[in-house]
Amino acid sequence: MRYGFLFEQMVRRELRQKYKGSALGVLWYLVNPLVLMGAYALVFSVLLKVADLPDYPLFLLVGLIVWVFFSQALLAAAPSLVQNAALVRKVRFPRETIPASVATVQLATFLVMLAVVAPLALVIRGSADPALALLVPLVALLFSLVLGLSLLVAVLHAHYRDVEPVLAAMLLPWFFLTPIFLPIDSMPGIADHAWLGEVLRWGNPIAPFIEAIRDVLYAGAAPTGGTLLYVLVAGLGALGLGVGLFRRLERDLAVIL
Amino acid sequence: MSLLAGEIALDGASRSFALTPDRTNTLKELFVRGGRRARHGVRALDDVDLHVAPGEAVGLIGRNGAGKTSTLRCLAGIVPLDEGRAECGGRTVSLLELGAGFGADFTGRENILLSGALHGFGRAEMEERVDRIIEFSELGDFIDAPVRAYSSGMQLRLGFSIVAHLDADVMLIDEVLAVGDESFQRKCMARIAERMAAGATLVLVSHDPTAIERICRRVVVLDGGRVAFDGQVADGLLFYHRLLGQGEERARSLRPDSHRAAVDVEELELLDEAGRPRAVFRTGEQLDVRLRLRARQAAERAVVAVEVRDQRGELCFRTDETVGALDGATDLTFSVPRLNLMGGDYDVAVGAHDQDAPASPELDRVARFAVTHSLDGEGIADLRGTWSPVGRREVVR
Repeated sequence: MRYGFLFEQMVRRELRQKYKGSALGVLWYLVNPLVLMGAYALVFSVLLKVADLPDYPLFLLVGLIVWVFFSQALLAAAPSLVQNAALVRKVRFPRETIPASVATVQLATFLVMLAVVAPLALVIRGSADPALALLVPLVALLFSLVLGLSLLVAVLHAHYRDVEPVLAAMLLPWFFLTPIFLPIDSMPGIADHAWLGEVLRWGNPIAPFIEAIRDVLYAGAAPTGGTLLYVLVAGLGALGLGVGLFRRLERDLAVIL
Repeated sequence: MSLLAGEIALDGASRSFALTPDRTNTLKELFVRGGRRARHGVRALDDVDLHVAPGEAVGLIGRNGAGKTSTLRCLAGIVPLDEGRAECGGRTVSLLELGAGFGADFTGRENILLSGALHGFGRAEMEERVDRIIEFSELGDFIDAPVRAYSSGMQLRLGFSIVAHLDADVMLIDEVLAVGDESFQRKCMARIAERMAAGATLVLVSHDPTAIERICRRVVVLDGGRVAFDGQVADGLLFYHRLLGQGEERARSLRPDSHRAAVDVEELELLDEAGRPRAVFRTGEQLDVRLRLRARQAAERAVVAVEVRDQRGELCFRTDETVGALDGATDLTFSVPRLNLMGGDYDVAVGAHDQDAPASPELDRVARFAVTHSLDGEGIADLRGTWSPVGRREVVR
C-alpha cells in the first residue's frame, strides 16, 4: 500500500499529541473503563441487585470495552479534521488518514484491553470454546464499523460544526439504550414490551457487536446467525458509507477548514 | 493529454471563494452537490492559462489577493478548481507555509519522515534521504528537539531541506524563503538551481523582487485572478511596479495644512523624457521632477531642495539650489539626465523657502518611484563598468 508509511506516521503523530505531558500515558485508556466497570458492578450487582448473572464484572467489562472503543473513537474522530486544518490547507495527501489514524489509535487501546480481558475470561470460565476463533473477525468488523462512522462524523463535522456537540450529547443516552449492563432479554421491563427489545437489539448498530463479542468472550458460545449477519452487514456497510461520503464531501475541505 | 514530468498546465482555470462562510446550506444540498457551495464571492483564479516547460523557473508576483497562493494551492491539488484544469506532470512537492505538515511535538528528524510520508514517499525512500536533509539543514543537535521549539528560520531550514531533497519534478514554493538568513538563502538558491539543472520545474511566489530575479527567468504577474503579464523578468517587474503605482496618489504632502510656509510646493510630478508621468524607471533613463511653487508673498531669493532616499530611508542624494525671486505660482523642472540608481523603491522629496528663513528648506512634498532591477548589479548606485583583460604584465618586486 502506497500510503502505508503515511498512515504509520499519522498514527505516531496522533499518539504523540495524546500522550504528551501525561504521566500515565496509554494507561489512561485502561483507567476509564475500569472505573466505569467498578461503579456499574457496584450499582447493578450489589446495590440494585437487578443483575443476577454469574461473573457479573466480566459481563460488564466485555460490554464496556466495546462501548468505550466505539464512543471514544467517534468523539475523537469528529473534530479531527478541524484540528488538523493547517495540514489539510497546506499539503496534499489523502485526508482519510486523519480520522483513520484517530480510529486506529483507539483500536490499539481497545486491543490492549482485549488482551487483558480475553485471558481473564478464559481463566474465569476455565475452558476454551472454538467460538473464540470468531473474536478475530468480530473485532475486524467492529473496527470496520468504527472506521466508517469515524470518517463520516469527521467530514460532516468539517462542514457542520454542530456534529461533534450533537454526537457528545447523543452518546450518553445512547449508552443507556445499549445492552451493556444487562442482556436485553433480562431487562425487567422487556417482558411486557417485546417489540421494544427488538428495537433495542436491531435498531442500535453497536448492540449486536456487543452481544456477539460478549457471546464469544463471556458465554463461550457462538452468536446467533442473525447477529453474525447483522454484524457483517453493519460493519462493511458503515465502512462503505463512510468512505463513499468522505470522498464525496472532501472536495472543498481545504477551503472550509 | 498527459504531461511530461516537470511540465505544468493551467487551462481556463477558475476558482471562486465565498467571502463569508455560507452557512445556509441544508444537509440535502450538501449531499446533492458534494460539498460544493454556491459561490458569489471573489474569483481568486479567473480563466488562467499558464504553461510551464520542464526545467523552467517561474516567479509568480502580484498584489495581495491577486491569486498567487490560490494558484499554487490549485496546482498542488489542495484546492479543486471550479472550471478548467490545473495539472503538474510527475512528482509534485509544495512548501506553502512554514511548519505546514509538521507535528509540533515531533522532533525535526521525525518530521522529516512525516513530511516525506505526506508527500507520498515510503520509509525506504525517506531513510535514504534523512542524513542528506539533516546535513543540508545545518540544524545540528536541534534536529532531535521538538519542532515546537524551533524559530521560524529553523522551520524554514527544515522545511526547505526536506522539499529540496525529495527529487520532485515540480516544486511549488510560497513566500517562505524570505525568513531565512542570507547565507541559507544563497544555499537554497544554489540547491534550486541544481534541481532545475536536473530537469525540475519551480514555481515561486514572492513579494521580494530580488528573490525572483535571482532564481527565475520568467515572471507571471497576476492581477485580480488573471494573468496580467507573462514574460521576461525585467519587463515583468517593470509591469508589476507600474501596477503597484496605479491608484495611488502620486505625491503627498509632508506638511499639515495649518503649517503653511512662505513658499509651498503645490504640485510634484515625476516625468519621463517624453514628459509623461511615470512611477517606474529603468536605470539610466531620464527622470524629470516637475514641481509647482507658490509664494505666499513675494520672495527675494527662494531656495529649492530635492532629496532622494531609498526605501530604508538612507539618503542617496540631496541638493539645495537658489532659484531667485518668486512671486505667485512658478513651475520648475529638476532634470536628471541619467538616473544612476539601481533597482528598488525610492522617495523623492522636495521643499522650498525664502532665503531669509533660518534653516534649510523643510521638505514639503514626496513622491515615490521605483527603478527596475537589472541582472548585472545590485545595490543603490549604478557603477556598472566593464571588465577587460589587461594583457600580460610581469610583477617585479
